[in-house]
Amino acid sequence: MATQKHVFTVEMTCEGCSGAVTRVLNKQKDKVSKFDVDLAQQRVVVESTLSSDELLEILKKTGKATTYVGLEN
Amino acid sequence: SPPVGSRASVTIHVEGMTCISCVRSIEGRLSAFDGVHKINVSLEKKEARIEFDPKRTTAEKLREGIEDMGFDATLPTNFV
Repeated sequence: MATQKHVFTVEMTCEGCSGAVTRVLNKQKDKVSKFDVDLAQQRVVVESTLSSDELLEILKKTGKATTYVGLEN
Repeated sequence: SPPVGSRASVTIHVEGMTCISCVRSIEGRLSAFDGVHKINVSLEKKEARIEFDPKRTTAEKLREGIEDMGFDATLPTNFV
């Protein structure tokens, strides 16, 4: 499967929250080629070959409210 | 009340929490874990005190649960 850019909204209220999301994604280094965590915009962009559902499961591990927005070009 | 022996407690050191929202995320997620009776997270002390059923879960599993959420979690060195 080709790498796609998936956009998620994650409820993050502080740097601890965004740090937690960053760590969780760092653990998936072999499957996630690139990602960007934006605390101010409550937005997480993930470049990966994984499906949006699989990525959603990974992000939900943080215990934060997470929703899938869609693909970004 | 549960019989003696089905209840254990552990205090796990947690690094990386900076606000009450981090605390609530951990409390919310861990309290849903199988075998967890009670959890109390202190932002000030950087620790999570968990009462659990040792027949259904282990301190190491609880530590991994917190680690999976994106925090640095360590068991006390004297924990057996």
